Amino acid sequence: MILSHFTALLLFALFVSTVFALITKNEPREQVRYGVFVFLSFLAVAFAVGWIMYPLPL
Amino acid sequence: MDQVNDQPNSSTHPAPVELKPMNMAATLAICSGGWLVPGLAHVLIGRWVRGLIFAACVLLMFAFGLAMHGKLYDLEFDEPLHVFAFIANIGTGIPYWIAERLNLGIGTMTWPSYDYGTTYLWVCGLLNYLIVLDAFDIAQGRKP
Repeated sequence: MILSHFTALLLFALFVSTVFALITKNEPREQVRYGVFVFLSFLAVAFAVGWIMYPLPL
Repeated sequence: MDQVNDQPNSSTHPAPVELKPMNMAATLAICSGGWLVPGLAHVLIGRWVRGLIFAACVLLMFAFGLAMHGKLYDLEFDEPLHVFAFIANIGTGIPYWIAERLNLGIGTMTWPSYDYGTTYLWVCGLLNYLIVLDAFDIAQGRKP
């Protein structure tokens, strides 16, 4: 199986944010809010780091 | 009138639920089960939905990691730093041993998604450790 970098990132963020949300919060509403926050944070940081690395000659 | 409104309302502020801890032997047995089979600890405690979601997350990550040709690490004393990868991998429990017996997780370094697959395999094991600790806290009455 070959996933694109972005798809692999999406899946990774989905699984990890789900587990983190269920572990750290007790109320369903809080779990959803925290899970979405962690998921979006994963994406935001990945985009930010990607753009920072873009001009670097690798 | 203001003083009346400032009084805590029993309907909006329910009394805190008293959490009863299980005995330590039962807790450790449940946690061991949760380590061997991801999500089982929460199912045994009675948190069915949470346990099934945990199981799905860990096992899907494990399956994706194998499908992406990630590497499962053995205990190798020749490479001391590989011990950390091994500890992360065995966090998955029985699926790790099954995959080893089936010669899965050999790891193809030339495969494009090798690094992702290996990371998936590490992280699903580490997540299962966190899940077991969560079950421990619930069983000990430290969280609802």
